[in-house]
Amino acid sequence: MNLIEVKNANKKYNNSVVLNDINIDVKKGEVLVIIGPSGSGKSTFLRCINNLESLDCGDVYINGEKVNFKNNNSKSVTNVGMVFQNFNLFPHMTALQNVMAAPVIVKKEKKEEVKERAINLLEKVGLKDKINCYPSKLSGGQKQRVAIARALAMNPDIILFDEPTSALDPELVGEVLNVIKELAKEGMTMIVVTHEMGFAREIADRVIFMEDGKILEEDIPEIIFSRPKHLRIKQFLQKVI
Amino acid sequence: MDFSIINRTLPILLKGSLMTIELTVFTIVLGSILGISVGLLKLSKNKVIYFISSLYTWMFRGTPLLLQLFFFYYGLPNLGLNLSPMNAAILGLSLNCGAYMAEIVRGGILSIDKGQFEAAKALGFNYIQTMLKIILPQTYRRLIPPIGNQFISMLKDTSLVSSIAMVELMRSAQQMYATTFKPIEIFFVTGCIYLLMTTVFTAFFSVLEKRLSIYE
Repeated sequence: MNLIEVKNANKKYNNSVVLNDINIDVKKGEVLVIIGPSGSGKSTFLRCINNLESLDCGDVYINGEKVNFKNNNSKSVTNVGMVFQNFNLFPHMTALQNVMAAPVIVKKEKKEEVKERAINLLEKVGLKDKINCYPSKLSGGQKQRVAIARALAMNPDIILFDEPTSALDPELVGEVLNVIKELAKEGMTMIVVTHEMGFAREIADRVIFMEDGKILEEDIPEIIFSRPKHLRIKQFLQKVI
Repeated sequence: MDFSIINRTLPILLKGSLMTIELTVFTIVLGSILGISVGLLKLSKNKVIYFISSLYTWMFRGTPLLLQLFFFYYGLPNLGLNLSPMNAAILGLSLNCGAYMAEIVRGGILSIDKGQFEAAKALGFNYIQTMLKIILPQTYRRLIPPIGNQFISMLKDTSLVSSIAMVELMRSAQQMYATTFKPIEIFFVTGCIYLLMTTVFTAFFSVLEKRLSIYE
């Protein structure tokens, strides 16, 4: 069964079409990477999956269950973790508090248990010595790793990565990508929007190339990156690599 | 300056300032609760809620506080609602303070990055959890300077209730002046007491601002 299924997703801003009949399914343990030029609707699509933006029409199924966002079905949304381009850590909380916040406040889990898990997660992303730091004292790469730990703390079925390294200094990109690679190895289901083509090729089970709100091509990374059917993709890859 | 006059009137003035402090505390507490609530309501997407809360801030920020106090104290009895001077004073001051606080709170929330709301939503926080645990705590430090200003002017504005038969510091000063005919001494000392109170306030808020700055 597909973990996530999106059917006929359509969305318009004013008169411009952002998503044009997108169909996607993601199996458990699969890593789906979405690439494409800026403004092609990649991020919007990702944000529609967990209701940060709403679809004009189309349906999202999580674990085979249709998600009805109008009924505020927040249970489904907590199964979907999200990592943002700009981290969006809570600045008034330490790294540890950031990771603990949602399980304690949303899921009402016991503080002691969550704390132990949160420390383990921060250790996993290589930040055990930073657990009591406020985000303002962390580098971009460290912030993004805390954000990943924060998403993991909710034990999501899937994590959505929205250009997780685009706001980072080039030298800090590697540390974040390594954490994501590690998660992929462990079998975490993910949808990753990225401009890091080498990384995309390495972790993807499947790659989708989006342009003008449409899926132009969908295939395994070897094909997309070496011999895509569309000339447009070749041109795009030549420019960005 | 006649210091014996000061010695004689000081206890009465101090007693008046206790009432000023009491009024200020009531106003701040009630005004803050009202201000935070209305500030949140003004951000509502519901047009009716937005309209009603905007009507409130528009009226109370757009008319003089003295007029509002007169309306509650002299006007409401005509509608069958008799308020004691104390109740009329607290009602008028709190409603007025709340209107200004609402605008301060609203501005503070609008200044928070949209990404914070999104991160909270993505983690499954509902509206109340998002506001109480994520958004409002981040506004506190930013709100301290404007709220400090608001509270200091509120403290001084309590002097207006002297005109609706409340015996607070300003009214006590007027009474002492009427019995002694020594305006310089009386009003000088009264001014000093007001200054002392506002200074304590200012100091308190600057300590608070430092305390809340730890994460920046």
